[in-house]
Amino acid sequence: MKLETRHWTFLGLFVVITIVMLLPIRLSVPVSEQTQKMYDFIESLPPNSILLISFDHEASALPEIRPVGLAIVRHAFAKGHRLIGLSLFAEGTVIGYRMMQNVAAEYGREYGKDYVYLGFKPQYIAAILSMGESIPRTFPEDYMGRPYEELELLRGVHNYDDVAAVISIADGSLTTHWMEYGAARYNLTVLAGVTAAMVTTYDPYIASGQMYTLVGGLRGAAEYESLIGREGGGSRGMLAQSTAHIYVLLLIVLGNVIYFLTRRKRGL
Amino acid sequence: MDRKLALGICFIFGVIMFAQYFSQHPMARAVNQAVLEYWQIIFAFTLLVGVASFMKSSFRKMRKPSDRPYQILGLLGLISMPVLALVWGIKAGTPFMWMFENVQAPMQATVFSLLAFFVASASFRGFRARSLQAAILLGAASIILLSRSSLGGIVSDYLPPVAEWIRNNPSMAARRAILIGIGLGSLTTSLRVILGIERTWLGGSQR
Repeated sequence: MKLETRHWTFLGLFVVITIVMLLPIRLSVPVSEQTQKMYDFIESLPPNSILLISFDHEASALPEIRPVGLAIVRHAFAKGHRLIGLSLFAEGTVIGYRMMQNVAAEYGREYGKDYVYLGFKPQYIAAILSMGESIPRTFPEDYMGRPYEELELLRGVHNYDDVAAVISIADGSLTTHWMEYGAARYNLTVLAGVTAAMVTTYDPYIASGQMYTLVGGLRGAAEYESLIGREGGGSRGMLAQSTAHIYVLLLIVLGNVIYFLTRRKRGL
Repeated sequence: MDRKLALGICFIFGVIMFAQYFSQHPMARAVNQAVLEYWQIIFAFTLLVGVASFMKSSFRKMRKPSDRPYQILGLLGLISMPVLALVWGIKAGTPFMWMFENVQAPMQATVFSLLAFFVASASFRGFRARSLQAAILLGAASIILLSRSSLGGIVSDYLPPVAEWIRNNPSMAARRAILIGIGLGSLTTSLRVILGIERTWLGGSQR
């Protein structure tokens, strides 16, 4: 089999990433203003505040989005806040439930009292609007099928007025709907943890104040991990991601050099 | 007659949902809640349409012998996951969870990860500074890419502020223009649907 140019680029990326993943180097990442704002927001809430955490992502984005979600949930539990988890994507339901369960166990948090998982609701726009009117009517039972009113944490929670904010852990544009329907209609404070590719999409919303702040991608996760003093997938993945970025940039430069040399040869 | 009925229902619900947005009256809130609940129920039924459509398409493609194994595998996945969930539940340690965590999640992550390889290949073969505009685009993309890596500040102290400037000015201006355009387009389309001017959602002829 004859290897073509694209095969060499694939192979190069594979080799580069494999080597750097084996190196025990941790890059120090300066904390961005947006990540600091998320940290300060959770820090500034009085203990026992209730936060909605919406796992609005699919399994495909897990390697990037999981460290973001983990860092935020760890921080919230460490500060003594109470969390209500849910998902507006079917696939995010199980992922979110397992994450909350595991982190709650790390901090000795009790289900029903310190955290609750409501599960999945189809049609995200209707679900967001419906929760603004009544969360118990939107989710009459939790993920495990227990009636809403039987769970201690949920007894005083009727709608968005009873929660401090929603943090949408998303790999796409679903957070936009939290802003358009949750924030615009019900004055819900919206924060987000998103993939790096989505960061610039939300810049106008942060500038306009529609979104409070966000933590973006693996870099954001690494920044957050340094703030809470607990290393995780973000810090571990930063070197590999940074090296891959440099590799892609070098390929762009190389491709352009070849392009211009070829043009000159042809006399164009 | 049936088209007029559908258009009438669309008009009434469009006007009601528009009007209730501006009201805090308990009746308006109750109507809003009821409509939203029905919306979710109707949406759940559309999932069945999706399943039926997938099955129909798979059976049609099965006629081609080379595609048959893939279609059978797809159908098996479609049937097995709900069966596993219904028989053993979806709690930790159940076969459903095992399939999700060990088959579905890694497969999806793998497909998504392949993007990195395609981007690497495309960056070498496709990102060419063929014109001034393309060169500006390429330059801006390179600065943003470098700034998102932890090596950006090491290359130059000026890089992070320049990347911030690109994000906060030209990039945001373009995004705002697009968002405002989308907003105006949505508003116009909604009005056209509510007033019965836009009828393509009914299917068939426009008349």
